[in-house]
Amino acid sequence: MNYDTTGPVDGVDRRSVLAAGSAGLSLSLSGCIDSVRSVVNRDGGDQLSLSIATVPSDYDPESLHIARHLESNLQEVGIDAELTFRNPSDFLEMILLEQEYDIYVGRHPGGYDPDFLYEALHSTYASANETGWQNPYNFSDRLVDVDLADQRRRTGEQREESLERLLDTVAELKPFDPICRPTAYRLYRDDDERFTGWDEVGDFATRHGYLGLEPVDDVDRLTALVTDSRPSANINPLSPINREYDTIIDLVYDSLATVVPDDDGESEVEPWLAEKWETETHDDGRTTVTVTLREDCRFHDVDEDDDREEHVTRVTAEDVEFTYWFLNDTAFGRASVSSPAPRYRGLASAVDEIEIEDDYRLRLTVDGNVAVGERVLTVPILPRHVWVDELNDRIDDPADFSTSQGEWGLVTSSSVAPIGSGPYRFESQSRRGHLTLERFDDHFTLREDVGDGDDETHLRGPLVEELRFSVDPGSDTSIGRIVGGGADLTSSRVSSNTVGQARAAADNESDVELVESSPPTFYHVGFNTGTSPTSNELFRRRIARLIDKAWIVDEAFNDHAEPLVTPVTEAWTPERLEWGGTDPVTPFFGTDGELDEDAIEDAHRAFEAIGYRVDDEGRILG
Amino acid sequence: MLGAVLAQLIVVVTAMVFVSVGLFVGRDRCRRTRSEWRHRLRAAAPITIFLAVILLLNSVARQVVPDFSWIGEWRLGVAWNATSMIYDLEGEFIVWLQSQATPWLTAYFSFIYIYGYVFMLVFPVVAYFALSDTHPLRELLTAYALNYALGLLLYTVVIAYGPRNMLPDLVDALLYDTYPRYQHLTRQVNRNTNVFPSLHTSLAATVSFLAYRTRDSYPLWTVVAAILGVSVAISTMYLGIHWAIDVVAGIVFAYVCVELAGVLVGRWSVSDWVAGRLRD
Repeated sequence: MNYDTTGPVDGVDRRSVLAAGSAGLSLSLSGCIDSVRSVVNRDGGDQLSLSIATVPSDYDPESLHIARHLESNLQEVGIDAELTFRNPSDFLEMILLEQEYDIYVGRHPGGYDPDFLYEALHSTYASANETGWQNPYNFSDRLVDVDLADQRRRTGEQREESLERLLDTVAELKPFDPICRPTAYRLYRDDDERFTGWDEVGDFATRHGYLGLEPVDDVDRLTALVTDSRPSANINPLSPINREYDTIIDLVYDSLATVVPDDDGESEVEPWLAEKWETETHDDGRTTVTVTLREDCRFHDVDEDDDREEHVTRVTAEDVEFTYWFLNDTAFGRASVSSPAPRYRGLASAVDEIEIEDDYRLRLTVDGNVAVGERVLTVPILPRHVWVDELNDRIDDPADFSTSQGEWGLVTSSSVAPIGSGPYRFESQSRRGHLTLERFDDHFTLREDVGDGDDETHLRGPLVEELRFSVDPGSDTSIGRIVGGGADLTSSRVSSNTVGQARAAADNESDVELVESSPPTFYHVGFNTGTSPTSNELFRRRIARLIDKAWIVDEAFNDHAEPLVTPVTEAWTPERLEWGGTDPVTPFFGTDGELDEDAIEDAHRAFEAIGYRVDDEGRILG
Repeated sequence: MLGAVLAQLIVVVTAMVFVSVGLFVGRDRCRRTRSEWRHRLRAAAPITIFLAVILLLNSVARQVVPDFSWIGEWRLGVAWNATSMIYDLEGEFIVWLQSQATPWLTAYFSFIYIYGYVFMLVFPVVAYFALSDTHPLRELLTAYALNYALGLLLYTVVIAYGPRNMLPDLVDALLYDTYPRYQHLTRQVNRNTNVFPSLHTSLAATVSFLAYRTRDSYPLWTVVAAILGVSVAISTMYLGIHWAIDVVAGIVFAYVCVELAGVLVGRWSVSDWVAGRLRD
């Protein structure tokens, strides 16, 4: 096996950098780096080196904490680890698009249903070199592929069996190592002078948290604080790098169905833009979903003073069909090679056939069970007329048109008009300032006959005229703004190190409330399985054993998180992969986050067992 | 939130400037200024306009720079991510510095970082305006303009983050932890990648260097400026905002700007040029 490393940080060790540094502080000369490399090569064997990509503390203190822990333990055992910092969108660009990394630490949106792993791990996305959220690990394993496909088609106990096997294999092969799932805490002002309905409102991580809040008298704006400034610059629904969560997109774009989390960390898929659907399972495991759309729903580009029939753009079965085909090929058949979207790929690829019956009825046949068929309905519905125009604008020469999949303007640019049919429509944005949405008065949830039934509590509509997502520097200032009455709620989760502060604010102020929820989002360490040395699963498992998840939960999350062995939600976790004080598959080499001499010795033996050499100074050589 | 912080800053700095005018400038110079201000204003007008243009460009560019440097980093290869390199170079000096922290020191350096710094930039403008010789004033404004113009250029090339952003487990963000409200203010003027060199240090050092040059006119201010300059430089590291290398670079950068300003000022005269054109 070849352990040669040719990564971007190839062989830069601290001592030689310091030596080069003291020789002359010529930091801003790139020649400096070259001289450092030649110093290293004189020692004989090269020390194994790895880069760990993450974001600075301003953006995500928890990720950096995990990365620092891993960096320090890698250095302890004699691997030259180095952190690489990127801002959140450059970070995702590096991981999802360029896929040039060894190891990264970040957040994954996860999923209530374990089927999200299909998108994350299926080898078809790796072999096609697709960029985006689909398999950024370049992971490829035939058995995993079989189980991923099986769990899609099977139901009941059979599905659970496939899933157990899948989760076992994933825990062993470690394309990524799930670290923990944080509890999400948010603050809101339960101020009767401004809004009523806080008790019934949904999870603030979903669209339902912003619908149904009734403004009092002349209150015309709900201010939600976000610590992520990316939505204030770009809300292209297909952009892979501008968000981890779909909250804002789901307010601007409707989907056929909506995910409604319950209090137990589970969720239901309920009708949204679709009035109803019927499912029929075939013998081959495929499912046909017959969808009935709500009639006369409109897209946001409607001009309210112009109701001439030809100018009204209604959401029809054609837009739905377009959306699914477009997600599978954003070049829409105009280029010689198809160009799948860098988001929603796993769901869109499950759709085999679409038959339109009439304007408001269509049949989708998906390669999967009912659960997959329903999850497929949760992608945002895009207006055909807008996106086809945008596509045509980008074709100079129809005979010679090609796209750079996942990265070209149509799926990344903020210039694509943000027109959906959702409860709020785009009003304005100011970079690093705010994103402001305005109520879409034509939205179906505002119709008199919608949302009254007992089983329709999730169909509450947009009541306040304006919804502003205001960018705030950090959780601590956000708490200050909520207490001071400058904002209504924190849309971003309060960071772990300020949960205590948030709780104190809720205890001391009568009209400030703290709410907690457990979304499926998890923190993880991702490995590039396409490059050496992280291509070796035995190597990845040894790296995973340098991570103390219990210590991380305690130190980086102040205990506001659950350590994980497997990335699925609690309800889907097999007993074998439950957290039992330690990681049952890759237990930490040391204790309490630290590696003592014995632990370092154990780690060295483990690396030697897979062909690495350890030199006299305790460095692992590649 | 921003409004309240800003108002407080203006009130405090104005008070400091008034007291300092009384202490350092004196009644005689004020009296003379009253009769000569028109002439002095005319002499300083071109460089003031130039500085205003630079500041305006600077604020526009701050909006665009992240995208631009992203292009630089990935497409043209002119820039690279220097953060890890800086960290390796100086080890954990900042961690040591912060281990000396006391509540009083934190309060002092926070005050210096926000109020002391703004005062340091504003007061010399007033003090040099009170001198009959407009040369120091023009040199000061030129040095400010150079700091901003060249500093911006460096920020597009070197993308780095400060200690508080890289070592949150070792380095405390003392300023923001103690006074979170200042984040609203600093966010308006700074991006968290604007680290190398420390513009706080370089502007403060610029003022200190020029104060030394004008030590005959303002001997006492020279001493105060030196103390303030050193305090600002230490505060940026003590508060976990800059690395030592940023501060060293800031001082070198300030020296270059002051020397350049010395060379440039008086070389071209806008009024002579206009007069010449009129004669032709």
